[in-house]
Amino acid sequence: MHPISPIRLLQCLLLLLGLTLGWMSVAGERGPVIPKGKGDRCVADTDFMRRNHMDLIVHQRDETVIRGIRDEPFSLVECVDCHAQRDANNEPIRVDAEGQFCASCHTFVAAKIDCFGCHAAVPDGEDQERADGGHWLPNKQLAAFRPHKAAPLKSSVRSTVSSDHDELSSDASE
Amino acid sequence: MIDHLRYSTLKPSRLSYFLVLLFCAVFVGIGGYSALTMEHAGHIITGMNNHIVWGLPHVFAVSLIVAASGALNGASLASVFGVSHYKPIARLSVALAMSLLVGGLLVLVLDLGRPDRLIVAMTTYNFRSIFSWNIFLYTGFLVIGAWYLWMMLEKRFNRYTLLAGRIAFAWRIVLTTGTGCIFGFLVGRNALDSALLAPLFVALSLVMGTAVSVLVMIMLDRWRSVLIDKQLLDSLQRLLVWFLLALLYFSVVHHITNLYVSEHHDVERYMLLGGLSLTFWLGHIVIGVLLPLSLLVFRSASVSDCKRLAISSLLGLLGGSALLYVVIIGSQSTPQDLFPGKTVLASTFGDAGFPAYQPSVWEWGLGFGGVALAMLLCLLLLRILPLLPELRASLTASPE
Amino acid sequence: MLPNKAQAARRLFLQRLGVFSAATALPALLSSTVDAQSSTKGVSSAQRWGLLIDTSKCASGCDACVRGCHEEHGINSTGNEHTDAQWIRKIDLQNNLSGQKSSLPMMCQHCESAPCVDVCPTGASFKRADGIVLVNKHTCIGCRYCVMACPYKARSFIHEPISDQKSWAPRGQGTVESCTLCVHRIDAEKDQQPACAVACTDEAHSAILFGDLNDPDSDIVKAMANQPASQVRSDLQLNTGVRYVKL
Ligand code: HEC
Ligand code: HEC
Ligand code: HEC
Repeated sequence: MHPISPIRLLQCLLLLLGLTLGWMSVAGERGPVIPKGKGDRCVADTDFMRRNHMDLIVHQRDETVIRGIRDEPFSLVECVDCHAQRDANNEPIRVDAEGQFCASCHTFVAAKIDCFGCHAAVPDGEDQERADGGHWLPNKQLAAFRPHKAAPLKSSVRSTVSSDHDELSSDASE
Repeated sequence: MIDHLRYSTLKPSRLSYFLVLLFCAVFVGIGGYSALTMEHAGHIITGMNNHIVWGLPHVFAVSLIVAASGALNGASLASVFGVSHYKPIARLSVALAMSLLVGGLLVLVLDLGRPDRLIVAMTTYNFRSIFSWNIFLYTGFLVIGAWYLWMMLEKRFNRYTLLAGRIAFAWRIVLTTGTGCIFGFLVGRNALDSALLAPLFVALSLVMGTAVSVLVMIMLDRWRSVLIDKQLLDSLQRLLVWFLLALLYFSVVHHITNLYVSEHHDVERYMLLGGLSLTFWLGHIVIGVLLPLSLLVFRSASVSDCKRLAISSLLGLLGGSALLYVVIIGSQSTPQDLFPGKTVLASTFGDAGFPAYQPSVWEWGLGFGGVALAMLLCLLLLRILPLLPELRASLTASPE
Repeated sequence: MLPNKAQAARRLFLQRLGVFSAATALPALLSSTVDAQSSTKGVSSAQRWGLLIDTSKCASGCDACVRGCHEEHGINSTGNEHTDAQWIRKIDLQNNLSGQKSSLPMMCQHCESAPCVDVCPTGASFKRADGIVLVNKHTCIGCRYCVMACPYKARSFIHEPISDQKSWAPRGQGTVESCTLCVHRIDAEKDQQPACAVACTDEAHSAILFGDLNDPDSDIVKAMANQPASQVRSDLQLNTGVRYVKL
């Protein structure tokens, strides 16, 4: 065993500091440009969505496919509905296209998702609605989403999410 | 069993060694390129469709897997059955078996619709599926093979060789049976719905495994001291005769029983008289069994023993693959009979008949890529591990 | 899948985007939204969905059900019937003895003991609690063993990339698919019918009846009480959810 020399230690610390600063500047200043979604808030607290959207939709996926639970807030169709941008001719742009919502961060962190090889990456326009009139009603879904029933959430999340949704559920029940 | 032999690694000595390496590498490259193209464009660029869903890559993969199990013969004979003149080739035999299996599995995996999801196949199992069991059988074979090799390589572990050999022997029988069962339990496919496929596959594995071993040994003999001596040569010729006879027997019984079941008639007609008849009769029966049998039984003096064995092995390999082609493609080549007593007048999706299967260049590329990879792996193992006996003569002198 | 290191780095990146607290709330949030509803929502084995197809009402040459299905699920023909998805097909038959002709649609028979479910190595081919046999395309590796195993040739492998999918019917290259009995419709609302049944009724044939085989008061069970209904390849004893009258 060699004793670690103080110089070496200092070098390490400096390196660490440099890395941290570099990382902060990368993430803080040259981060991805994320197009804004429709409406003024997401289906859950924005911070919460950023961190947990993958787990949420994958969980939702199994719920829907295996247990037939639909019309839920974390449906992928909903994400696309709100997060797909429109071009100059008001045509929807694929959410996974370069620079678009689902690609913005993923390109930045080099994450790859294959979801939109199968899932529609643009919302269904009004004109191509289904025979049964479609049942995807975002408001109804949001009303069904009652996180305030949950076990204790961290306060910041709880306050934003639950107050928003209480309002909404009363709207929808009219 | 005490090891009287000294083993060494394969030393590159001849130009032909490098040519073989280059040749294999080129084909591995072609295989990789084919796989990438297939994954990108989809199976539309293969000859496969919704009638023939398993095509040429499966024929290659199953051939390699079946040959892998058979290639273990040398080792089994040496350690389990104590046949001493197989002892020198025991290590080679295990290395070859493992390489062939890896080649076959890779072809199988790259022919998946979503090879990128392999991790799903490795982490979620449906234990009612024979396919799942086979994944265990294959990985288990590799693990046991590696262990077996280790026991043989390390002097102080030599006493476990017998145990490892026995386990490997049992495992490979189960493995071949399992591979046969993948096909054997498909109630919806008339041609395959037969328990006779399992013994047929075991016989086939013995033929193909012995044949590959022979060819590899003869190739190695051109580069270094001789592996196949007179005794081994005789023994291999006799073995091959018995294996070929067993294959012929099970093949005949399989088809005769199928002919007794009237609902299998369409499929049998397609295999024996229709689109696959040439592959069956010329490929499997004549080239694969009768020709090598007659070569080996009526030994003509004008051909050397070694050459005769090489030619019969090559024929046996080709014929074995032809048989697998007939079983795999043939079983999918006739419409499934859904309505007994009724004739299908029209269908929007081939219930009355559909075009024959025509494999595409990508499928050949992928298949040969797998074969080349197996060869490359085997050469690599021989290069880095001392698997080849140094002096052939020492054995004949030894009391065993 | 990503190695953990990369994943950790990405999560860190998210943190850098301004989140510090919410992660621990996830399990609680998931369990609350799900558990609160699981008692009331989701499929249950109290039902068993099925179809009754009256071949005497089915017209030869009519493919309204096939078109209805394809439209609903965004299945577009590429011109090659052998590689296109075939969730439902029309077959015209003639009895070898009587010479009588009949016509019928053939699709996934939603077997109780489904061979495709047994053989699937990853469990992607599965049977829902309410008897509907589905492919979970998120875990399907495209091995096609289920296509080999299906006695009805009801499964299709997707041979090429697909575009312009319907939002309610995701479909894509390299996986296997088959009739879903329009789960997205029947889950969503009570009294919804599969698209083929709707199309058949619209054509005034009403040869396809959809309903709950476990409910003695349902139309389908009553209809089956009136006329004998048989299973295709009943010799295999798969207890199919799709039955045929006057087969
Ligand atoms: C091979 C095709 C395919 C791929 C790839 C795929 N899905 Fe799906 N997905 C489906 C199908 C089919 C359904 C079932 C739709 C139904 O039953 O209504 C589905 C349903 C879902 C649902 C529930 C329905 C909804 O819209 O909310 C979610 C959530 C979902 N998928 C998420 C994902 C995510 C996330 C990915 C990428 C990681 C993904 N899927 C990749 C085919 C696919
Ligand atoms: C009702 C419309 C709506 C729906 C549905 C919706 N979002 Fe959002 N989402 C928004 C809005 C608006 C924002 C921006 C909120 C803000 O700026 O605070 C947002 C923000 C986000 C963010 C953070 C982006 C950033 O700027 O850092 C993520 C990640 C996200 N959404 C993912 C999803 C996913 C995944 C789904 C589907 C489960 C979804 N959203 C469904 C409207 C929606
Ligand atoms: C705020 C940036 C951001 C946005 C916007 C965003 N994602 Fe993500 N997403 C990430 C990050 C970062 C990861 C990687 C996390 C990890 O590796 O654990 C990720 C991972 C995922 C994963 C899991 C991938 C995997 O291989 O594990 C899915 C699925 C996913 N995102 C779906 C979406 C969808 C769908 C959208 C658009 C509706 C979207 N994301 C928008 C940042 C984002």
